[in-house]
Amino acid sequence: MKAYIAFTKKEFCENLRTYKLFIMLCVFLLLGLMNPITAKITPQLLKSLMPEGMNITIMEPTALDSWAQFFKNVPQMGLSVLVIVFSGIMANEFSRGTLINMLTKGLSRKVVILSKFTMTTIIWTLSYALCFAATYAYTIYFWSSEGVSNILLSVFSLWLFGILLLAIILLGGVLFKNNYGVLLFTGGFVVALMLLNLSSTIQKYNPITLASSNMALLTNNMFVSDFTMPIVICVITIIASIGSAIMIFNKKQI
Amino acid sequence: MEELIEYLPFLIPIVIIEMALAITALVHVLRHPNYRVGNKLMWILIVLFIQIVGPVVYFVFGRGEE
Repeated sequence: MKAYIAFTKKEFCENLRTYKLFIMLCVFLLLGLMNPITAKITPQLLKSLMPEGMNITIMEPTALDSWAQFFKNVPQMGLSVLVIVFSGIMANEFSRGTLINMLTKGLSRKVVILSKFTMTTIIWTLSYALCFAATYAYTIYFWSSEGVSNILLSVFSLWLFGILLLAIILLGGVLFKNNYGVLLFTGGFVVALMLLNLSSTIQKYNPITLASSNMALLTNNMFVSDFTMPIVICVITIIASIGSAIMIFNKKQI
Repeated sequence: MEELIEYLPFLIPIVIIEMALAITALVHVLRHPNYRVGNKLMWILIVLFIQIVGPVVYFVFGRGEE
């Protein structure tokens, strides 16, 4: 336990000094602020860009548009930044050889993986919460929250998908020794999930639902029960990836 | 245009955060002249002119070892 706390502290220091924490917080706060404002301003921008005499009826934006922006920007931009920022989490340790000293002095290899997972999860949760809080506050300020249902489950499922990506990044980091391998591995994983989504039987169990169908949940086109299986599968995949990352890392030569 | 001015109080925080990212990255580029790839001019341009992504890419891929 002592080793775990010490190593987690070291991870925190590293994330602070390599500006990773700063980047994550800035980018997600920025995304959070931009969502409601984009929703609010888009119709006016369209109107002012329209040539004279052209008339298209533009719907007044609602709270749903703001959340549509949130569930478009965070999975695309936010998750990409998450993966890029943390892609080097294991690779940097391997390339600099910084783990050798600690592991030969008796630090358990399990602790390395678990601490890294804990720290990245904490950072992701913090930045995601910031993003959600900003969007939520502005959306409440601009519009009333009518017609938006299941917002908490929707937000939770996207958060869980982020954690799944973190687990996959760690697994990739243990498998490959450089940044680019991890990026390809994680990208490949997401693409594979998307391809699996084409089959309607697998669709019901596919964790990518958690990041792609959030709007359907908000507008009541999908129900809470549709999300149960993906959530269960997602949690199982997270545990399996972390477990196999630990097992592979135990056998890995550093 | 009036509408844009109306939303200025909401746009200002966005601009501030973007500037904060760009300036932190710019200071780092100028003070640590060793990069993994590329040179100083390239990174200055990237950091200043590619919003959000530029500083992120610099800190993740461009920053050299100290």
